[in-house]
Amino acid sequence: MIVLGIETSCDETAAAVVDDTRRIRSNPVLSQLDEHRPFGGVVPEIAARSHLDHLDSLILRALDEADVGFGDLDGVAATGGPGLIGGVFVGVMMAKAIAAARDLPFVAVNHLEAHALTARLTDGIEFPYLLLLVSGGHCQLVAVNGVGDYTRYGGTVDDAVGEAFDKTAKLLDLGYPGGPAVERVARDGDPLRFALPRPMLGRPGCDFSFSGLKTAVRQARQGLDSFAAQDAADLAASFQQAVAEVLADRCRHALDRFQQEHGKAGPLVVAGGVAANRTLRATLSEVVGGHDAALLAPPLPLCTDNAAMIAWTGVERLRLGLSDPLDFAPRPRWPLEDLRVPSPVSPA
Amino acid sequence: MAEERTLLAFDAAGGGCSAAVRVRGATVASRSEAMRRGQAERLVPMLQEVMAEAGISYAGLDAVAVTVGPGGFTGVRIGLATARGLALARNLPIIGVTGFEAFAAAVPPHGNDDRALLVAIDGKRSDIYAQAFAPDGAALSEPAALLPEALDGWLPPGPLLLAGDGAGQAQPALRAAGRDTVLADAPARIDAAVVARIAASRPLPQVQTPPRPLYLRPPDVTPPRGAEAAR
Repeated sequence: MIVLGIETSCDETAAAVVDDTRRIRSNPVLSQLDEHRPFGGVVPEIAARSHLDHLDSLILRALDEADVGFGDLDGVAATGGPGLIGGVFVGVMMAKAIAAARDLPFVAVNHLEAHALTARLTDGIEFPYLLLLVSGGHCQLVAVNGVGDYTRYGGTVDDAVGEAFDKTAKLLDLGYPGGPAVERVARDGDPLRFALPRPMLGRPGCDFSFSGLKTAVRQARQGLDSFAAQDAADLAASFQQAVAEVLADRCRHALDRFQQEHGKAGPLVVAGGVAANRTLRATLSEVVGGHDAALLAPPLPLCTDNAAMIAWTGVERLRLGLSDPLDFAPRPRWPLEDLRVPSPVSPA
Repeated sequence: MAEERTLLAFDAAGGGCSAAVRVRGATVASRSEAMRRGQAERLVPMLQEVMAEAGISYAGLDAVAVTVGPGGFTGVRIGLATARGLALARNLPIIGVTGFEAFAAAVPPHGNDDRALLVAIDGKRSDIYAQAFAPDGAALSEPAALLPEALDGWLPPGPLLLAGDGAGQAQPALRAAGRDTVLADAPARIDAAVVARIAASRPLPQVQTPPRPLYLRPPDVTPPRGAEAAR
């Protein structure tokens, strides 16, 4: 089974070809970073325009690199949400049109499910497992029981963790995107210099909160008489340390609950762009070590937004006999818990 | 020369969703439905319906025709993304038709009336999209986005025939400026059969050069909120 995947839900235009032997035959990604950088964040209308301008040539490139033609495909999968809806429309409509013109099944993929299933593409792991999804738009702990079958353990009550990195970078004049910038300067910083809060630390459950941390960063900066490079480095390091400790605490709770419900300790899969952060990875390694669980982090290009995970989710769904009708409506909001445990139907 | 083309034409850029198949000079299947939103859901099933009714397969098409705007940004992209998907999958050229051309072509012949035609398209904001045409159909202006009050000064002098789904919005401002205006006896929605008729007379473009969207307005730059749904 060979599936074309399309991803247009944020600021990366992506297309990929993946097969059911878990082989990624192609996975080109076109970042719009330079188009959004002047605005310090993703501008939805600029993103949507750029997706339309580039998606068709990127699909051709994905097919070309995979050395397949439309006639070789068994399905077309596109991110159907959640995300910036103008961009989602572009990917969904192009996918539907290809499906119609080639008489192929169409799969509307939940972008979060695609992140959740990536470890099955990269490492072939079995259900169930625990997922920590940390990105610019998402921050949640989820038990992945099966395709379409998720139990949300907790999530952020305010900012996503990637958002907190971006806002901290802005407060420290580090530019956009904030995650890599904060990590870079934090390397030379003292994580103990600023006593920032650890929101939610020690509380029961698996929820996160990052807005207070961002406020504390602002106040710490305002409290300084001058602001030199070393101050930025120390503040970035202190912020990163606080985030790492909060994530570690929440993951410990989630691993405990997962153990109770599934009789095994993980594995813990970490996905999303923030998973690229080395300090966070190191902290999570310690956490799983304490629980005798494995930590799985897909390679970075498959942690950030990409279309291979969309195509793979298409494979997972199509082999269960699941596809979507061509009147599918893109969904700006689409929580994982809204997905249904599949009851196979024959493709339309 | 007899028209030999088989075309699939559609529009999702305005207040409707419309699709038509044209074979050798005749519309053999068409649909047109009014809707302010929902084109993303309706368009492709509608294409499937007209193709089935026409008894045509996508492999049997010579080209796809689509409106390129102006209109709602999302609606413009729904049509163009669909056209690009079909064109990719079947290696077809895409003929782009503007909303102005589609509305103008749907105005019935109005005798020896020497009025210029103003096509006004609802911009969903305070300003409207406009283009003027001579009685013989030649463009008198470039497409533009402007406030209704600015129309009179922007247009060449003389009486006007008004068409398009923004005509009702344009008329009061033009009248207030003392302009002689008459509403054309023309539909307020784009009909894909008309888009197909226009496309049938155009040279076939290169497959590799799909038409550009006609937005007529720069992107709104609002503070980003990110893809933060479903927390």
